[in-house]
Amino acid sequence: MKFFRRALYAFTSAWQNFWRNLAVSVAAVVSIALILVLAGISLVLGHALGQVLDTYQQRVSVLTISVADDTPLATVYDFEDQLRARPDVVSVRFISKDEELRNFSSDPRNQQLIQQIEGNPLPAKIEVRVAHLDDVKRIDALARQWRGADRNDPTDYRGDFIANMLRLSTWLTIAGLGLLAVLTVVSVVIVMNTIRTAVYHRRQEIELMKLVGATEWFVRGPFVVEGVMTGAIAASLAVGLLLAAYRPFVERFQSELFFLPLSYDPRFVPVLAQDLLLAGAALGAVGGYVSVRRFVRL
Amino acid sequence: MIAPRGNGRPVISFQKVWKTYPNGTDALRDICLTVPDGDFLFLVGASGAGKSSLVRLLIREEKPTRGRLLVQGQDLGSMRRRQLPYFRRRVGLVFQDFRLLPRMTVHENVAFALQTLGESRRTIAYEADTALETVGLAGMARNYPTELSGGEQQRVAIARALVHRPRLVIADEPTGNLDPETAWDITQILSRINADGVTVVMATHNREIVDAMRRRVVALERGQITRDHSYGTYDEILPASALRVH
Repeated sequence: MKFFRRALYAFTSAWQNFWRNLAVSVAAVVSIALILVLAGISLVLGHALGQVLDTYQQRVSVLTISVADDTPLATVYDFEDQLRARPDVVSVRFISKDEELRNFSSDPRNQQLIQQIEGNPLPAKIEVRVAHLDDVKRIDALARQWRGADRNDPTDYRGDFIANMLRLSTWLTIAGLGLLAVLTVVSVVIVMNTIRTAVYHRRQEIELMKLVGATEWFVRGPFVVEGVMTGAIAASLAVGLLLAAYRPFVERFQSELFFLPLSYDPRFVPVLAQDLLLAGAALGAVGGYVSVRRFVRL
Repeated sequence: MIAPRGNGRPVISFQKVWKTYPNGTDALRDICLTVPDGDFLFLVGASGAGKSSLVRLLIREEKPTRGRLLVQGQDLGSMRRRQLPYFRRRVGLVFQDFRLLPRMTVHENVAFALQTLGESRRTIAYEADTALETVGLAGMARNYPTELSGGEQQRVAIARALVHRPRLVIADEPTGNLDPETAWDITQILSRINADGVTVVMATHNREIVDAMRRRVVALERGQITRDHSYGTYDEILPASALRVH
């Protein structure tokens, strides 16, 4: 019961304090909302870029091994079993010479060529899907050592492309994390300054609380709640702005900003809202906790 | 002579306590002092004698540098930080500058101490009313501190110190900002609280009050106890005939 009364006190006190220092609170909400909008934009771009990268990664994470015409089927099956047993392999599919020819013939671009060739010059293939992009190189090395592989063109491995993809992916992750770290620090500093103003106004009260036997958490609670409140209101504002602008912006500027991977993904909307709300509340909590720490120490 | 109403067990026990500040100043030197339950003790001495340092040790705003300090059976030197709030809930504190919150009413100022402890609204209201009655301010519960005189503000501060029913009240110069008549009223309130069995330690400069009350007097000089008299006066022991009657 005492816990609920203390929690109620923390919420009431935080709410009163938010309104008592309305100008400072509003300034903090607007500043944090703008930062979260920036964070949201970077998340949207990151998500779109991630989708593009995923598509490429899915494409290049399939290695096609050409099978020499004279390879017995039993050897092919043995190699397939060997591949399936590996943890880095997701799936293995054998494409016979006939199937390969059918696929080739069904492409309208090959119609002229198909009339000129006799028989079936296309090799049978083994399609191997790997779990991670960096596993492709190992499977390629294994395929090249396999005696059933076509000596002239054993695989369709594109090493440079994959290496570039991996490098790009790493750099984008680092850049994204760096940007988020900067935005996080700025938000925490803003919340800290807001709460410090509140703490300064209530320093006498805090001093008294400590002298009459309040625990550190009783003193700190209202300020942490106020931080969470500020962060959550700012995050709601940011989410509202982003959701209102996301689709119209993508539709309006998709063609003009061709160099940015802009796309509207309705499935990403709830994820974005949840992430920003949690981030806002967490930033507020950290800011509130840190700013009041020095004053509440008994 | 007023006999202590407590059980006589030591509430405060300084055992060879030293307090040395980082600049090397010895604020307290080799203090040995025992205060039994129910005692009323005046702590006297000139400015810089060590009264404030001793009070700060008693409320554990600071720790002794050497020696052992037991208050209500707890060793304040080795007390953990998380135990401190629970210790302070058993001690009532009164300060020279009242330390009331101006944006709260008299009742809210007194209730604040219990609110901090998470007590129920009904308990808070009852205890705050009782404490205000004890100091004779029941009729001013809705007033704000700025609407009260200095003496009334100090009575509110005493009510706040009493609201959680402590067994020990520490008053640091509670009459320092008051005129002689009001100072006497405040001392009488503390005396009545003491008569109910609460131990009172009062640091003061007020010679007249100390001489009139004829209670235990501990004098400090340059950080050392120079005098500890059971029915003492501010400067020296006076004959019983010199006792001032109010």
